[in-house]
Amino acid sequence: MISLTTVLSQSFAPAELPAAVRATLGKPLRRAAPLTQLALVGALACLPAERRALPTALLWQSTSGPRLETLTLLDEVCSGGAEPMPYDFLATQPAIAAAQIQSFLPGLQTAMHLPLDSQGIANWSLLLSLAIVWLNEGRCAQVLCAQLDHTADVASGHWLALSHASLENSPASLQLMKDSASEALPDTPEFPARLAEWLAGNGNQTLSLHSPVAMKLTVEFTRL
Amino acid sequence: MTRPVFINKTALLCARGNSPAAVASALWNGECNAGQRKLGERIFPYFGLPLEETDWQVRAKQALRQVAGQLGPLPPETPLFIASSSFQIGHFEQLGAPFDLPVANAAFSRQIGEWLGLNGPRTSFSNACTSGFSALDAARSLIAAGLIDDAIVVGVELANDSTLAGFAAMELLSRTAGRPFDARRDGLVLGEAVAAVYLSAKPATWRIAGLRTGLDGFSTTGPNPDGSRIADVTVDCLKEANLKAADIELIKLQAAGSPGTDLAEANALRSVFGQNMPPLISLKPGLGHTLGASGLAELAALLACLAADKIPATAGFSKVDPEIALFPMVERSTEHIERALLNLIGFGGGLASLIVERHG
Repeated sequence: MISLTTVLSQSFAPAELPAAVRATLGKPLRRAAPLTQLALVGALACLPAERRALPTALLWQSTSGPRLETLTLLDEVCSGGAEPMPYDFLATQPAIAAAQIQSFLPGLQTAMHLPLDSQGIANWSLLLSLAIVWLNEGRCAQVLCAQLDHTADVASGHWLALSHASLENSPASLQLMKDSASEALPDTPEFPARLAEWLAGNGNQTLSLHSPVAMKLTVEFTRL
Repeated sequence: MTRPVFINKTALLCARGNSPAAVASALWNGECNAGQRKLGERIFPYFGLPLEETDWQVRAKQALRQVAGQLGPLPPETPLFIASSSFQIGHFEQLGAPFDLPVANAAFSRQIGEWLGLNGPRTSFSNACTSGFSALDAARSLIAAGLIDDAIVVGVELANDSTLAGFAAMELLSRTAGRPFDARRDGLVLGEAVAAVYLSAKPATWRIAGLRTGLDGFSTTGPNPDGSRIADVTVDCLKEANLKAADIELIKLQAAGSPGTDLAEANALRSVFGQNMPPLISLKPGLGHTLGASGLAELAALLACLAADKIPATAGFSKVDPEIALFPMVERSTEHIERALLNLIGFGGGLASLIVERHG
């Protein structure tokens, strides 16, 4: 059985993000782009210290991606007379986030970054499907799925942590269903926040995630 | 449910030609000349696509349409997996300030889907140099699990100054040529490619026997020189394929001529293969390092070489580095290969190993 172990939504004013990192680590994370800082704060909030060395995969999607950093880079490359500052280029490379948080999450074995191509539509169904497949294969012990975005106004992270082992306080289990008749939520960036609301309520026993880009199966959550 | 996943078709457009077979033939003939790309006062060798068009968007459309033509007709609802490290940043460079970037950072993938004539599920991957194998891994995981029956996996890396300038600023680029594993290696040579792989549960000549991705957080720009993380990924891949190291008959290296990464890869290979090192080749001296497209471009090129039983020599290698103490093939071979390992080691810590095996 695949268990949902954590549902988390975070939101920061961009200026507060470094302080959130300091509060998490007890020190600043030097030369880390906002997406990296968001990834770090969220991943460590999802996983208690005793689970951070377990084999872990990180699958994260983003609508904004490193948009602000890319604008800075474009300005330097196209308008400036010289090559960009190395840090400004590195900040446009979202894959680097995983490398920078591995030392705080030693079990992190692999990571994939999935940039989204349409505003307001996410791909949680794919992230969760991959997570379920990999957990069932025994490829890792836990999978972190996330949506990370940052704009000039807000930095937000939505997280779902999945585990092959059922933890004492797991709120729900997940499975892939061919046809699910249960109540459905749309596949949007803030899906974890809606899922948390459902878990906090006393509604139906099951909930499914429907996606406009869905494959054959639906992800169904069952309360535990 | 788990089922085998096969590579049914490949397509490739890169500096060496406009089909996998044409590219394989060019590599067999030792073609490795590169063009140039100017950046401020500096000029770098660069493997550009053989397209005359100068409008970025029109050129991109031409490239994608050529690859679609190579693939032939496909059901429009076929799931599409897109890998790129730079998407359409070159288009915005050409338009100039103010830079009107779309809100969704992979919006270019919608355009790619349209150019390929595909309107089914679409997913994008951007993990720097390992993007192609990340996309391949996701697609084949879903096919193996029965969640989808087939998929088009496309790698797209098209010319732009931002990537070139970023790599140049970090002094990662060679000013002359890529020299994998060579004592005189001094950096990468970048290039463009559009490559596609059609995966299916339907049997075909080549099966994905193993595919594993990994992460090395040693540094944001390169792996641990001891190669230990790279070796872990290769060993995991062999385990998944249920193969021993001795079963691998050929290794397509990541090696691009990078001083640090080439050394890390060599140390990893030594730890996995010991004294029984299979023949090694690098395709990057002929294709350039095509970053997010490199995994799929090199896969398509290699399979075409293996289909013809014509394994090209690795250009750019002539002097053994005593610290590496491994050397890629400098003579062409007509050996028939049943199983090959392909390595990717990415900027940003991404790692991947893929094993392909002949079927039937």
